[in-house]
Amino acid sequence: MELIRLTNVLKQYDDGAVTALNNINLSIEKGSFVSIIGPSGSGKSTLLNMLGALDSPDSGQVIINGIDLARQKDLSDFRRHEIGFIFQLHNLLPNLNVQENVEIPLMDAKMPEKDKHRRALLFIEAVGLLDKRKQKPNKLSGGERQRVAIARALVNFPSIILADEPTGALDTKNGQKVLDVLRFVHESIDATLIIVTHDIDVARLADRTIEIRDGQVINDYYNR
Amino acid sequence: MTRLMKTTIRLNSAKAVYNGGIIIKFITLILKNPFRNKTRSALSIIGIAIGIATIVALGLITAGMEDSVQTTFNEGGAEITVTNATNVGGSSGLLDASFIDDLKNITNVSDAVGQLSVSESNQSLMQSRSPVLGTTVYGINASKLNLVGISKVNGTIYEENAYEVIIGTRYADLNNLSVGDNLTFLGYDFKVVGIFETGSMMKDNGVYTSLSKLQNISDTDKVSSILVKTSEGVNDTIVSQNIKDKYENVSTLTSEEMSSMLDDVIGILDAASLAISGLAILVGGIGVINTMVMTVYERTKEIGVLKSIGWKSGKILKMILGETLVITTLSGIIGALFGILISEVGVRIIGTEGFSLVYTPKTFILAFGITLIVGIIGGLYPAYKASKLAPTEALRYE
Repeated sequence: MELIRLTNVLKQYDDGAVTALNNINLSIEKGSFVSIIGPSGSGKSTLLNMLGALDSPDSGQVIINGIDLARQKDLSDFRRHEIGFIFQLHNLLPNLNVQENVEIPLMDAKMPEKDKHRRALLFIEAVGLLDKRKQKPNKLSGGERQRVAIARALVNFPSIILADEPTGALDTKNGQKVLDVLRFVHESIDATLIIVTHDIDVARLADRTIEIRDGQVINDYYNR
Repeated sequence: MTRLMKTTIRLNSAKAVYNGGIIIKFITLILKNPFRNKTRSALSIIGIAIGIATIVALGLITAGMEDSVQTTFNEGGAEITVTNATNVGGSSGLLDASFIDDLKNITNVSDAVGQLSVSESNQSLMQSRSPVLGTTVYGINASKLNLVGISKVNGTIYEENAYEVIIGTRYADLNNLSVGDNLTFLGYDFKVVGIFETGSMMKDNGVYTSLSKLQNISDTDKVSSILVKTSEGVNDTIVSQNIKDKYENVSTLTSEEMSSMLDDVIGILDAASLAISGLAILVGGIGVINTMVMTVYERTKEIGVLKSIGWKSGKILKMILGETLVITTLSGIIGALFGILISEVGVRIIGTEGFSLVYTPKTFILAFGITLIVGIIGGLYPAYKASKLAPTEALRYE
């Protein structure tokens, strides 16, 4: 079942001097695990921002879950319900503990406090940090912080998980842990997982790999 | 993998056990965030608190003066004070006692009484840095005390030509005197026979004895001033003018004129308070803008993350504005407490002879109103700037 469709998506910067995305056409299935690879400046992150409704195309159409993003007046609700972002750097709030950081996206959720609390703990447990839920980010390792960021991104049960170089700032061991958690949670909540990476080994873990260069899809293949 | 499998089942069925506790609230975030950089917030708080403390201190002092002026010119007292126009503090400025009867004959004058005031500076008290720098004793006929606003006396009133005095409550407190004690003045011992309270800081710091006794010990038969009571419903200014027209060598001061003179002083204090309020808004506002703009710059990426998880621009605006208000409210509370402290300590150290601070809601409403204005003015720009950050740019910010 198709979840994401991009049609002739064009995105330029500096009054057209830089073309980040050049007439991209793409379709991504629901529940799939897709990796996007390409060199720096190829347009990977711009594409991810389009999929996450953080940026809008100059022309073309982005349809997610049947919703044409260009027709949405306010995309913040859409982001809250449909998208879970994971960044290269965790960007956790330093004055809040693990649990509080994970609970932030649930602040405005219309559900009983009890359920919010339960859900946050569930995801903290899923990323293996239940025993550290009361600790501040500065007491955690880089890998642990990234796992907290994963729990925060997923606590709203998004239909799409977008990860921009999630292991880019981690060593191999911690990077592997984060990938394990990502794959596990993606399968558990049946979300579509899209990872932007430089690492070809990470890309190979995905069902499908899309290679981008100069704002265009130059390769699109299934790994198995 | 056992843990992962177990959690998978729980994620899918969402049957996790509720462990208790409270989910983080927006308000908690607003209360916690300002203290991420404690030093910067503290400096910002101190800056505003100093302004607020000054406003509160001036407010308390001004209210105290206003209250004193009001009680000084309470009903029942004399409306016009007549003195010798050449009075420069020496004996040549005294008035003949016979002049009292002349004044009684003027139209619309219902009563007149002579009053002699004699001062004695107290060197020993000055050296000990006591708040009482000297004693002024007023001599007035006991039956006319109502003309200086003294109506109730705890004890008795002095006898004519006796070494007896009545003293105000402030004077009694400051000199630790009570009924039955002795007070030495110009080398004579006077017995305190009564203590009075008028509510006026000046009068309650006074000492009164019979006119004849004071004239006797200061070797004069004259008076320093004549207190004139006018008839009911009469314009005091007209009566005052009549006196001056008839007797060229006297000057008059109506209670209204005296009140007006004191009002001018209070007006200056009010204006100073207003100017300081304006400065506090300006300085505090700039300080807060600086703090919050720095905060927004430092947290640009965080704001991008919050937007990426679905926070609306309005929520970001509310958060930054809320954080600013937390800083300014705290400044207001600290400033108000500090203002109370410095004015209370100041009054005690300087020794204002009976003056007391008056706590009115107006002072604190003004202080907290300014705090609120500083918070809103100081927080609006950084909050607006933060709310308008494009999420992609915010996330790219280094």
